[in-house]
Amino acid sequence: MEQAPFDLNGSAEQVIGYYANMVYRLAFARTGSKYDADDIFQEVFLRYVKKHPAFTSEEHRKAWLLRVTVNCSHKFYYAFRRKKEPEITDTVQAFRSLREDYAFLYEQLRRLPPKYREVVHLFYYEDLPAEQISHILNRKHSTVRTQLTRARAMLREFLKEENDG
Amino acid sequence: MDKRWEQEAYGDFTQTWKESYKNLNSQIVPGDRLLRDTITKAKRLEQKHAGKGRVLLYKTAAAAATVCICLYAAMPVLASSSDSIYQMMYLVSPKIAQYFMPVQLSDVVNGIKMEVISASVRGKTVQVYLTMQDLEGDRIDETIDLYDSYNINLSFDGWCNCELAGYDESTKTATFLITIEQYENQKIDGDKITFTVGKFLSGKKTYEQVPIPVQLPADTTVQEVEVNGLGIADEKWMDALDHTDHLTALVPKAQVQQPLVDGIDLTGIGYIDGNLHIQMAVKDVLENDNHGFFYFKDHTGNKINSAYSFSFIDQAAQGTQTNYRNEVFEIDKEAFSEYELFGDFVITGNKTDGKWQVTFPVEKGE
Repeated sequence: MEQAPFDLNGSAEQVIGYYANMVYRLAFARTGSKYDADDIFQEVFLRYVKKHPAFTSEEHRKAWLLRVTVNCSHKFYYAFRRKKEPEITDTVQAFRSLREDYAFLYEQLRRLPPKYREVVHLFYYEDLPAEQISHILNRKHSTVRTQLTRARAMLREFLKEENDG
Repeated sequence: MDKRWEQEAYGDFTQTWKESYKNLNSQIVPGDRLLRDTITKAKRLEQKHAGKGRVLLYKTAAAAATVCICLYAAMPVLASSSDSIYQMMYLVSPKIAQYFMPVQLSDVVNGIKMEVISASVRGKTVQVYLTMQDLEGDRIDETIDLYDSYNINLSFDGWCNCELAGYDESTKTATFLITIEQYENQKIDGDKITFTVGKFLSGKKTYEQVPIPVQLPADTTVQEVEVNGLGIADEKWMDALDHTDHLTALVPKAQVQQPLVDGIDLTGIGYIDGNLHIQMAVKDVLENDNHGFFYFKDHTGNKINSAYSFSFIDQAAQGTQTNYRNEVFEIDKEAFSEYELFGDFVITGNKTDGKWQVTFPVEKGE
């Protein structure tokens, strides 16, 4: 992991600045909504300050933040479960800089069950090995592998549907 | 291992999708306002926690622990020995208690006994009950605060938390619950943990709604200071203050009036750029954790809090450190006489130094 520019006693501002994108992107991948990601982002870092956990390494702080982001996303999902997912145009407009050609990819991800999205994100974006993902998500190693395999198969199917048109 | 498995399972689709997904994510970032707002709230919380210490975590103690401690408080005679605490846990919940193995290892320094009562291992979580008891005096009370002076050494990787779980007046004993969550899926049964405490604070007194009669001075002298803490309550100040290292503050006076409470002085009041600044000073803040807040009330009793606050430090030659907290109110000078100033303060009575250390094994219960 890249060396954080502060030690384990880093201030909340330093920690938020360094991990902001990581937490936000995972929350967004999990919920598929900018507005939900905003709420989760704040909840995660305020929980970090309130809980004031002690870490033995920077890697553990990162893992803690990833786990809490997933937990907050679950909590948020069940507390405010919507009848339908937010319209993709809403989120694309919310991120004015989001390139249109990525909209299809984003839509593919949103078609995955939420529990698959976080596994896909941690594996493909955070480059975490399946074993570490299983620790963070508190799922069996075999479960993570199965979910990755199924997610991969679903993504391939979505692509085929699009191509067959 | 993972790469080989990925290659077998996914073939060449993976790399393309991964690349696109990374590109997509590079465009997903939190907005500036969200980032600023979160940092401001986090700083405010950080200051609040630094002031009040980890005693706040009392509220988050696990339900089972709370039940145990309620009974503990109700049975001071039983609770006077570590044997009894362990027996008591069985009375409350045999199912939970069976996970806790008695430890009963202690260290006595400076007349204070620190004893690890019991520890449990359940899955990846280790929980430890330990007590601190004053064998000679009254230095331990319900306001005890380990003040970030404790340290937990593990032989495995994990994150830890230490919470004040209860206090027994009759035996002057404070009970703490330490929770350690293991990060890796390692075997921890039989491993050792070392818990060390360097000092603790106690005898905290809270003073609320202290009336502070003040008058505006004829002249105001100001200085540029390096800010070491900033709390913004009113969002409109965020843009102007959020990335500021230096601010204009009142030059502290020896004492504007009698000490507000023993340990905190009012060292300045005056207008800077149309806003009312009020300044308090805490000497040796790292040794005592004294702190406080100002607010105004209007004639109808409505409370007016500061729009923002900031702190700076004066490092005296003798090595003592004075912390100046400056609160800034948006109250017009013409309307100043319509408001009354109040303060809430927390003062620490005692600081007890020592080095208490216990190394103990963690073993799975039945």
